[in-house]
Amino acid sequence: MTTMKLTTYQQEMLDGKHGETKQFCMNKLVDFGEAVEATEMVDLVLVLNGVPICSKDRKDPEKAKKLAIYDLGHSPLYDPIFKMKDARVADKSGCACGNDPYMVQFDKADQKGYPWNFSVPGKGDFQIPADIIQDLKTGYDKLEEQGWLNWLSCNPYFNTRIPKMGEYAASSESSAAAYINSILGARTNRESPVNTVYCAYTGCLPKYGTHLDENRAAKCIVEIDDAVRDHLLGTADFAALGACIADKASNRIPAVLNLPKNLSPTATKQIVACCSPGMNDPMLHLMGFTPESPTLEAAFKGQMPRNPERFRITMDDIVEMFHHINHISPAPGPETAKPVDIVVIGCPHATFEEVREIARMLKGRKVKQGVMLWVQTDTPTYWMAHQYGDTKIIEEAGAKIYHQTCVAMTGFHHYPPGITIATNSYKYCKLAGGMGSKWAFANPAALIDAAVTGVLNPIPQWEHWSPAADRHLSLAGAVHS
Amino acid sequence: MTQTIILTGTARSKGHASGEALVNSQRMGWAFNHVSNEGGIVMVPGADIQGECVTGRIVVYPTVLGSTSGAVSLYFKCKESNKGPAAIICRKVHDIDISGCIAGEIPAVDGLDQDPIDTIRTGDWVEIDAPQVGQKATVTITRQG
Repeated sequence: MTTMKLTTYQQEMLDGKHGETKQFCMNKLVDFGEAVEATEMVDLVLVLNGVPICSKDRKDPEKAKKLAIYDLGHSPLYDPIFKMKDARVADKSGCACGNDPYMVQFDKADQKGYPWNFSVPGKGDFQIPADIIQDLKTGYDKLEEQGWLNWLSCNPYFNTRIPKMGEYAASSESSAAAYINSILGARTNRESPVNTVYCAYTGCLPKYGTHLDENRAAKCIVEIDDAVRDHLLGTADFAALGACIADKASNRIPAVLNLPKNLSPTATKQIVACCSPGMNDPMLHLMGFTPESPTLEAAFKGQMPRNPERFRITMDDIVEMFHHINHISPAPGPETAKPVDIVVIGCPHATFEEVREIARMLKGRKVKQGVMLWVQTDTPTYWMAHQYGDTKIIEEAGAKIYHQTCVAMTGFHHYPPGITIATNSYKYCKLAGGMGSKWAFANPAALIDAAVTGVLNPIPQWEHWSPAADRHLSLAGAVHS
Repeated sequence: MTQTIILTGTARSKGHASGEALVNSQRMGWAFNHVSNEGGIVMVPGADIQGECVTGRIVVYPTVLGSTSGAVSLYFKCKESNKGPAAIICRKVHDIDISGCIAGEIPAVDGLDQDPIDTIRTGDWVEIDAPQVGQKATVTITRQG
């Protein structure tokens, strides 16, 4: 029995009329629905979850030790489902089910120089054990048999399954959830990856959290200074802007004013990736871009106070944020010349625009021996880069481009101690700080230079920014005149 | 001298638990990179309880921070590696942690009549009685000295 109002089909799934798996999953979702006081369920068009590591010998002490490193904790949830003969995702209803990046690009699993298998001179080696990769492949194959599209991407909303305004999704990838809500106008929570397992097989989920209008409303206004709007250029700049927005809004949903007129998908992705490292609710009303918020009144869902709280973001805030991110788990070395071991771009997964930019900057150069440059992207972009020649340029420079995985999903807390990783990802620096490696944060141009020279200047040229006219004019490449 | 404080709130995940309190004044998450799956050790830089072990303790914190994978990592620590907390108490238990607690079969309580961060201290003995989700839960705090 549930107090939730179910559709006929949902009730039939709960009653077992559509098989054992759907009934099992509906029971779990109903339990959760009661806890969050949901009154009904929504039908989903996209489910984003994780591939399980399917180990038969999970209880073996040696295997258990490895799984404690490599398993996020989600794999045992699939055990009962994999035992059921009728397990099939709800793809007939138009619900596409896929997963986050994880561990390895399968066809290059045995190659060296990638995040799943590498050496850092003088500091040590890292390699994901072959049996763990094999068990992951077993899980991957089982999901495929059951109708999952194993896209292994942070960004399926760009190119694989694009939810439309008003539709519902269940994304356990936070940055994807923020993009789906804020830019596409579809509705998802930053969904628990416990729930997304059950969502996949039923195609539904209790209606709660940011599915509901009242939980999508802006609570404050964050206004960007003209100087910030006009001078942010690199992907790290936009990540820092997102971090500043989240910081000013203090974990509340903001309405953001005065964004650049031309906000690329890449810049947008970088901004909204402040969710989860900076804020919990996967929703930013980016005024001018968020479809359900043509006006501030709409962003506040009709509940705008007479004097809503307002915060400003200045260039000083952006500079300060660069310093802050670089000091979460600070890399050793001089402030403007930090030795690096690994440079990684593509958290969330790099867009084709980013891959092209990297290839342009790398052309004719060589990554310094002993340093690794990693470019991580989704599968469609990986093959586009191959098609259009970007991969060739990147690989000829001695860098690596790969898909299906990401550094943070490789067991990176067991990387050799004392290594420095440089990135343009606020998310990496914030969520990985404290786990052994040291992290430096910088724009792609500085990152590529670091890969070539082995030394990073993490602070952009506009650190010494001041509003004085002469200084202003000296800034190269301003977006707006 | 023993002091006893009784608070009431709402059960977000049901169960009964008792254990020593571990209070973190900052938001925190349960993902493997925040609290290790293999050891239950808090690794968040700058957290009040960085370096502490959560196993068998009642962890008190404002609400979640960080990855959604906290839900499955919490479940894993409770059910697979046996390094999980006995229960959690928050100002507001986030939905991600609710699902982790339900799957991990530990109680979660919020909406207490006093602020848990100010009221509960690390080292207090805490008992939770949370028989039904969405219904009243009782938190009994016992403090020595």
